[in-house]
Amino acid sequence: MEMREPETWPLERLLSEDLGVTAVWTTPSVQGRTAARLCFPHRTPFTELEPGTRTLIVVGGGTLIDQAKVWRRERAPSVRLIAIASLWGSGAEASPVAVTNEGGRKVIHLDPAYVPDVRVSWPELAESVSPLRARRACGDAWSHALEGFLSPLATEELRGELATLLSSMLELPIGNDTRWFEASIAACRLQAQSSVGLVHGIAHTLEGPLAAAQPEFGWGHATLCSTFLWPVLSLDTTLSPKTENLFREHGLHFVRILNAARSLFEDEAYDRALPLLEQHWNAVLRDPCTRTNSVLIRPGHLDHFRRRAFAA
Amino acid sequence: MEGNRSKFRELLLDVFLLDPSEFRWDLTRSQIDTWDSLGTVSLAVGIQDVFGHHLTPAEATGLASVEDILEVLRRKGVAFGDA
Repeated sequence: MEMREPETWPLERLLSEDLGVTAVWTTPSVQGRTAARLCFPHRTPFTELEPGTRTLIVVGGGTLIDQAKVWRRERAPSVRLIAIASLWGSGAEASPVAVTNEGGRKVIHLDPAYVPDVRVSWPELAESVSPLRARRACGDAWSHALEGFLSPLATEELRGELATLLSSMLELPIGNDTRWFEASIAACRLQAQSSVGLVHGIAHTLEGPLAAAQPEFGWGHATLCSTFLWPVLSLDTTLSPKTENLFREHGLHFVRILNAARSLFEDEAYDRALPLLEQHWNAVLRDPCTRTNSVLIRPGHLDHFRRRAFAA
Repeated sequence: MEGNRSKFRELLLDVFLLDPSEFRWDLTRSQIDTWDSLGTVSLAVGIQDVFGHHLTPAEATGLASVEDILEVLRRKGVAFGDA
């Protein structure tokens, strides 16, 4: 697939550029700050743009940016899309992947046309993020990088690039550090050239049911990725020596990787998610991401999660 | 060798998410709705996990039946007890 990257602008350039008729879509959590800095009309996301609109600025998390990428491609392909991530993790602001929720089912779209034209770096938006959200966002990036690296569809060249990225991620603290923006973009861009695996199969299957069953908990993609990365990596390692071999062949210290995954694990989230994992296991097995896991995931492997075999 | 045949059958049941009652040795790709491109990836991963043999992309995409998979594995030295 042709790889296209968005231009990267600092916020100052966005503020000084002639953008023509412009609309801004934001998530509520950052609307106050965007309204204070961006002197363009803020519109309700996914409503029709004013005639003559040349630029759409989207500020938010991966979900809003992905939806905007799909909306722009289908509804306003001539409009320039400028993406500003309010938090790292998804890498959506620079990626040809767009994940949408269609009737409760996560659908993965992959097309260079989804890449925004410009991404703007505005790291201050993430300064007020809670430590828990920051950590979960790191889990999102770790899941992309690790599953992309282990994917059976990854070439050796791609694994080499992902190994370099993983090494640099090991040096970053799990938590609020704006260097995660660039790491997340790289993880998403590289993963888009191979595939993801069981962590994403679980996240895509359970996100809707968990959000419906436990709305008070704040379930989202990043929470599920963070919580299941360690259990899944442990399962992959148990099932086949190739997982550890791949890390070794690329100069990665497996124990450090496993410890990073372990540090993202959330006990309470796991306990809350497990009954729904049992209930939806057949759907997890059929998820396209699960089917490109690095080792074959079988019906009986649910027992690994039930017994918490990874924590033994 | 009979063990290999049994392992192979279990593998296909899990790769293609088949009920044991659905399995037949003469199944073709068109009769298995989960044998799409992702099913082919999953099959290649499973064969490597279970039999330790790597399928080339040409081998994997050229498979059109259960018998084809058996034949590829026989060529790689896996014995199924069927002379």
